Amino acid sequence: MKTLDTDVVIVGGGAAGCFAALKLHEKGVRPLIICKGWVGKSGASIFAGNLVISGQLLGNTVQEASNTAEFLIKYHNQFLIDQNWARRCGQWIEQVYYPELESAGLYFRRDDSGNMVTSPGKIRSIAANVQGNSGVPFMDLRRKQIIKAGIPRLEETVVTALLQREDGSVGGVFALDYLTGEYVVVRAKAVILATGYSDRLHARSTGTREMSADGVAMAWRAGAAMSNLEMQWWHTNDIAHPPSWQRMQVYPNPMLGSEKSARMVNSQGEEFFNQQVDDPLAFGPYTVQLKALVKQVHAGKARYDGGYYAGFDHCNTDEVENYTSYAKGYKQLGLQFPQDLIETAVTAHYRQGGVDVDNKTMRASVPGLYVAGGLGGHSNGLIALATYDGKVVADGVANDFTSLRSAEIPQSRIDAEKKRLDQFLAEKGDVPPVVIKDALRKIMWDNAGVEKDDASLNAALDDIDRLRLELLPRMNVAFKGRRVNYEWLDAIDLTNMIDACELIIHSSIERRESRGPFMRRDFPATDNTNWLSANIMIKTDNGFRFEQRPYELPFFQPGFATKNNMEVPW
Amino acid sequence: MKWAYYPGCSARSTCAELNGATHRVAQKLGVELVELESATCTGARELRAIDPIGFYTLNVRILALAEQQQLPLLTICNTCTLNVLDAHAAFTDDPALAHEVNERLAGEGLNYSGRTRISHFLWMLYENIGEDELRKRVVRPLNGLTVAAFYGCHITRPPGRYGFVDSRNNVALERLAVILGCQPIDYSGRTECCGFHTAAHDERISIKLSGQHILSAKANGAKTMVTPCPLCHTVLDGFQREIEDDMGTKLEMPVLHLPQLVGLALGMTHEELGIDRHMIALPPLAENAGASATNNSLI
Amino acid sequence: MVNLELQGIDARRLGQAENGDSLKARNTAIHDGDHLSVKIKRSADDRFDSHRVPYQKWMRVLDALNYVAEHDAPDLAYRWFCGSKMCGSCAVRMNGREVLACWEAAVPEMTIEPLRNLPVIRDLVVDRGPYERRVAAFEPWLERTEPYSGFPEPLSHKDIKNASKALDCISCMACYSACPVIGLGDLTDFAGPAPLVQLGQTALDPRNDPAKVRRALEQSGIFNCVSCYKCEEVCPAGIPIVSGIIEPLKAKAAELLPAMARHPRAFRAIVAARGRIDPGALILRVQGLLALARIPRLLRMLARGKINPLKTLLCIKTAAASGAARILSRTGA
Repeated sequence: MKTLDTDVVIVGGGAAGCFAALKLHEKGVRPLIICKGWVGKSGASIFAGNLVISGQLLGNTVQEASNTAEFLIKYHNQFLIDQNWARRCGQWIEQVYYPELESAGLYFRRDDSGNMVTSPGKIRSIAANVQGNSGVPFMDLRRKQIIKAGIPRLEETVVTALLQREDGSVGGVFALDYLTGEYVVVRAKAVILATGYSDRLHARSTGTREMSADGVAMAWRAGAAMSNLEMQWWHTNDIAHPPSWQRMQVYPNPMLGSEKSARMVNSQGEEFFNQQVDDPLAFGPYTVQLKALVKQVHAGKARYDGGYYAGFDHCNTDEVENYTSYAKGYKQLGLQFPQDLIETAVTAHYRQGGVDVDNKTMRASVPGLYVAGGLGGHSNGLIALATYDGKVVADGVANDFTSLRSAEIPQSRIDAEKKRLDQFLAEKGDVPPVVIKDALRKIMWDNAGVEKDDASLNAALDDIDRLRLELLPRMNVAFKGRRVNYEWLDAIDLTNMIDACELIIHSSIERRESRGPFMRRDFPATDNTNWLSANIMIKTDNGFRFEQRPYELPFFQPGFATKNNMEVPW
Repeated sequence: MKWAYYPGCSARSTCAELNGATHRVAQKLGVELVELESATCTGARELRAIDPIGFYTLNVRILALAEQQQLPLLTICNTCTLNVLDAHAAFTDDPALAHEVNERLAGEGLNYSGRTRISHFLWMLYENIGEDELRKRVVRPLNGLTVAAFYGCHITRPPGRYGFVDSRNNVALERLAVILGCQPIDYSGRTECCGFHTAAHDERISIKLSGQHILSAKANGAKTMVTPCPLCHTVLDGFQREIEDDMGTKLEMPVLHLPQLVGLALGMTHEELGIDRHMIALPPLAENAGASATNNSLI
Repeated sequence: MVNLELQGIDARRLGQAENGDSLKARNTAIHDGDHLSVKIKRSADDRFDSHRVPYQKWMRVLDALNYVAEHDAPDLAYRWFCGSKMCGSCAVRMNGREVLACWEAAVPEMTIEPLRNLPVIRDLVVDRGPYERRVAAFEPWLERTEPYSGFPEPLSHKDIKNASKALDCISCMACYSACPVIGLGDLTDFAGPAPLVQLGQTALDPRNDPAKVRRALEQSGIFNCVSCYKCEEVCPAGIPIVSGIIEPLKAKAAELLPAMARHPRAFRAIVAARGRIDPGALILRVQGLLALARIPRLLRMLARGKINPLKTLLCIKTAAASGAARILSRTGA
């Protein structure tokens, strides 16, 4: 067991975590990043396809600036967002974000004449190097900035518990380096959870292998309140076969340098969605696409797990290949591009909710605990937002720094966590953890998928109870060695996944409406009278309770009280 | 059939036997070669790195000289071949480059319009002579001579040029070997690198790399190797004694140039084909006849 | 008389059709209901374990590994994060060739082993430390000579085209494993394709400080690339590593570190003077008098007429000399 000391532990090496580390470092506060995967090379940040321009950057008109804000508030967050925060974030993106990235060397794609290549239309975006692949150079730059700054990082190391002091404040983390099998305790004055929002909790999920809702579970265990856990995006256009490509998307966005975007057809070959045609304002139109798909599913012309197709057969090759990576998957399968369409299916994507935070400081409801990025439960969907969180949390921690507590963590808590993890290796059962993971994901897919209701959600809770009682006790980690033991990791993940799924389901039962991607068969209307609020889940001594916190509407308003969600454009 | 013949630099110096063998075998097959006397070096790997425009100009010049005579271009070296293919492709894909190159050639009264067909001697055998005709011409089937084909990198990769997902899927040399009566051998070095292009400044790389390949060929029962590239030959044969010193073991692996293997099957002698110029002698064929089969034969 | 017509064969691609080499062939060779026979290298006892895996549409190597881990061998150690060619963590060797497991089509018989040239930690998981250290030594970040002028800065794609290709790199290590020079270990100081692509991202960026590029190139061993293109063959991102990255880096090295580029500069000078390469002249220029130390080889070559010292020393030109001189004198260098 290794013990390290630092000022701030950052759990997660994605857009939010890396930026928080860089900003803290600049302020003279020592960060240490612990990443379950590889800093800058795992999690969802690498999947950023393109980068939306906000404000009046790059010749954006006032209308286009407004469109961007409107799209963020309506189409990405369905009004469940602090619009004042969104404004601050938008201003920062316009003034600081792009210049900082370019100054550090990120290459925003130009043409041969030196013009920045953008997508035309109501909302404009640019790309880092190649559209569809912006996240890779973006996060690689962050990785190199971290290395240049000499910020220490532990990789392929999973934080398994927040370590709390006697007074309940968070004072560090317990972690397992799963390459070596060594335990690591890191003591700090603050912990920033930046573990992301694309957790693999459904049979088809866009999360990377290691995304198992660790942040949600650990924060809850530490007593932090949650917000909007039920709000979940779905990708409509992810590739149906092979299974490993379930997070590979046929991006619906308009293509740089072209007026076109991918189109979708149902099982009869009828086009049912083409973003540039159907809703140009819905840039990155996940919810709009989803609703279009739901109609097809109800008409028997598509299924959630396939039976509909997407592609670029209405484009010529150059339009797609000039500035995007969109053709590569087709070609790798030996298909003809652009003629061939590919079967797609729905995939659970970003969870808009997460740990409830004060978005001016990124404090969670437990002292010493902060959150940034996708786990932050307060905004959704763009790498710029996650990066902004990194800035705000660095400011928040730095401002709080002198008043943060620093008492010791009781050794008994460290011992307890060690014992809990050792116990997984001692199990003697007959079911590998990965089988139980798959069983859990199936429960979520079947009962808490795109369309749900009270009955299905409660059935999911029953199924999870049964899983806890019947399968979990049979869990067996066959390989007893500690080095590179992915089974052990799976077992550790599973505990978090089960806890998080239960929280999500309870939260889903509580929100009695439909809103955007959150679709309830038993409450089909979007109810702005009663539910234009954050659905806050608070831990109590014998379980939990819910509170609501209404959102202010200073800049954009929905314009209706209640309406069937399927008729709401966003 | 008449070709503009471009032998490159090696075949006109350290591997002059290749040039002689090519001429003799071409004549026997009824192929007329018109040598491009004033064609320059293609630049190997050096020029294309440090002087790209010079590289493109020299290579397009070779293509232009052939085009001037309205003849397709025949090459006998892998690196030359890849260079002219790359230059031709760049010329065709990039009008600005094409313009610049032709501008530089204008002083000599040359101009390329992109029409020269390029073929390596190996491909010419298949495309212009054909397997059936070749089979008919074999007067001395090489009686199961076990041969390890060493393709060399520059006619098998990169995928952007030749289209192989896995360059080990090449069969041209083995198929040819069978036509000539040989028994091709499978071994680990078939499509690997001889290391020639670092030999001028660090020979150890080529000695170590080629040593592995020759050893594998030998271990799999090959009595000779054949290569379509004189640069590979320069290492495999030319440096073989150094390789033996480095390994501390005798290899005694004869390495033939492709036209030499063809020539032997067409009934020509070692002397006619210049095999006596090699560092490692090829024993008289009677000794190699009926070499025992191993599990590693291809086809 | 020889048949003047083409035989209808594309000889340079011989083997592609009959061996199902193309992507289309690889993706249509197997059908639902078929089974794959998969052998995997395990560290324990240094053995190969065999597994039978039912085929699913468009199955990747990674899907087969996942099946094995879920059904037969839950203790198999193998890396993957994203499953869609973004994170670069799942590269392995399949039937002796480096592939990205999530990108490569499964084939009916597969032998899967870890990458070469990196220490194996367990089963298919390798230690990327040697690569990380080489990249870190290059200090692969931009250092500007001019202050940043504000967003968007003046820059054209033409100026940064090669660095842009390098930015497609997901550092999967397939190229590093395939590189034969890296395979020779400490014999040379060649940094290897993957580190050089990482270097290329900034070294080929026109905004970068040349002094910094020079410092990095000094430790790159860039001229030890043998140009075998094995890196390009295995790169899942299709980066033209040799022609698009390494060669431009060689050009930069020739410009910033002329002493390092003695070989290519001598090569060019000889072609400019004589029209064709005289290997003897080249060796003399690059190695100097050291070349003469190899007496046994020199004598052997002389005996077989492979070298012509008079021709070399008297700088005899070929018929190509004037053409070469005219062209190369104009392009400088």
